[in-house]
Amino acid sequence: MNLLRRALALTALPAILLGAWWIASDGSTSFYFPPLREILAEFGETWTADRWAADVLPSVARLGAGYGASCLLGVGLGLLIGRTTWLMHLAEPVLEFARAVPPPVLVPVIMLFAGIGDTMKTAVIVSGCVWPILLNTIAGVRSADAVQLDTAAAFGLGRTRTLVSVVVPAASPRIVTGMRQALAVGVILMVISEMFAAQSGLGFAIVQFQRSYAIPAMWSGILLLGCLGVALAALFTLFDRAVLHWYHRMRERSA
Amino acid sequence: MLEADGIGKDYRVDGAVNTAIDSLTFQVAEGELVCIVGPSGCGKTTLLRICAGLLAPTRGVAKVDGREVDGPPADTAVVFQEYGRSLFPWMRVGANVDLPLRRLGLTRAERRERVAEALGLVDLAGRERAWPWQLSGGMQQRVAIARAVAYRPRLLLMDEPFAAVDAQTRAELEDLIRDLWHRLGVTVVFITHDIDESVYLGQRVLVLSSSPTRMQAEIHIGLGEDRDQLATRSSPEFAKLRGAVWKEIQAAKKGGGE
Ligand SMILES: Nc1ncnc2c1ncn2[C@@H]1O[C@H](COP(=O)(O)OP(=O)(O)OP(=O)(O)O)[C@@H](O)[C@H]1O
Ligand SMILES: [Mg+2]
Repeated sequence: MNLLRRALALTALPAILLGAWWIASDGSTSFYFPPLREILAEFGETWTADRWAADVLPSVARLGAGYGASCLLGVGLGLLIGRTTWLMHLAEPVLEFARAVPPPVLVPVIMLFAGIGDTMKTAVIVSGCVWPILLNTIAGVRSADAVQLDTAAAFGLGRTRTLVSVVVPAASPRIVTGMRQALAVGVILMVISEMFAAQSGLGFAIVQFQRSYAIPAMWSGILLLGCLGVALAALFTLFDRAVLHWYHRMRERSA
Repeated sequence: MLEADGIGKDYRVDGAVNTAIDSLTFQVAEGELVCIVGPSGCGKTTLLRICAGLLAPTRGVAKVDGREVDGPPADTAVVFQEYGRSLFPWMRVGANVDLPLRRLGLTRAERRERVAEALGLVDLAGRERAWPWQLSGGMQQRVAIARAVAYRPRLLLMDEPFAAVDAQTRAELEDLIRDLWHRLGVTVVFITHDIDESVYLGQRVLVLSSSPTRMQAEIHIGLGEDRDQLATRSSPEFAKLRGAVWKEIQAAKKGGGE
């Protein structure tokens, strides 16, 4: 019953919006806004197994590589900077600046250095994803409770054990927040990087359809992209629930 | 066991120097239970953090076993005032108690045994799998005490550990501390702002003046070893001793106000 209600709550609005789209576009004769019926029909035809292998999987693989590298880099550097006061003071203005630069601007620059292959696209993803993770990790480390750190020190836990058992878990809610933001940035950059000089990928395919006036196919690509985003967000929620199990239950109790 | 030799601490806040502790000298012998009382803000926590090697004094030295404290000394455990912030909410009770043991080179079985034993001593037997935030405040502070006990320290430093629990729980925890002290033969330094508590618990009470803090007085508590919440607290000696401590604290407040 409860599960049913939750499932209903989750799907109600998307269903209504899709329904509205279907009805509103049903009689459409516009070339650029074909009926949803047509888009869905096109969907099955366009996104064949071959297309998945040629465009979807490479996109997802690059996103995975870039996002994974960002997580390692962001968390690693964040822990180092957050735990080292002088590094923190040194890095702060640079971080603020880097964060303020919109990542897509970097695409041409990165193309210059990394060529136009997978490395470039992965580098673009990293260049945008790393900031929310890095900044949130630093903030998380800085917000570790002084009494908890005192406790660790008083019992003579070494640097490594304090890091692993106290600092990282204390920072983990912020780290996960950063990773969630980075995921959204990553999907955007994945698409944008593929719109510049590319031979494969979801972004590439969508641009190809648009240039060859295959408008229903273009729309179906956009739809697929949206579904990919939703699926990734759902996966991330599972990850969040697993890693921050203690945190969510603690908050439920105090709420 | 523990020696404070002219300890002083100045805090620098926005360029201004705030002398929290002027100078404190005292000794705590092996196996003693000493209470330290003083008005709020007189530097009790500061003193404890210096003794625990968490904070460097501006003047003087703290010594444990004759050795100058320049970092957390071995065989020393601390119980903080804020139990809610000193337990780690991402670990179950058992893991919290176990964490300090992990560097002692014990086997897994030995550690498990120590954890179980310590939890038993604080009346939380079998609660290893609970989460700290599922427990009441008094139970959480008992977990913090169990963590200190399982570590088998020779010196136990406690900073107003019962300030935030209700009166009933507080009385139980006081008896628990006396009991543990008896059984384990550990040296205990117990900081409190509660006069009755200091007299009930201690063999000796050190009264601090208000900031800039000096030693105001040292009072021996000749109440004998067996103490009882009802009988001891209603005895005439108890009343006399608490009167003595109270007078010193009043004098300390006046002295500091000038
Ligand atoms: N980190 C700090 N920086 C600056 N001043 C501090 C710091 N810690 C404590 N002080 C100051 O030092 C004095 C003593 O503080 P401390 O916390 O040691 O007192 P306390 O006796 O433990 O107080 P309470 O009874 O409220 O716990 C206070 O005036 C406080 O404002
Ligand atoms: Mg204090």
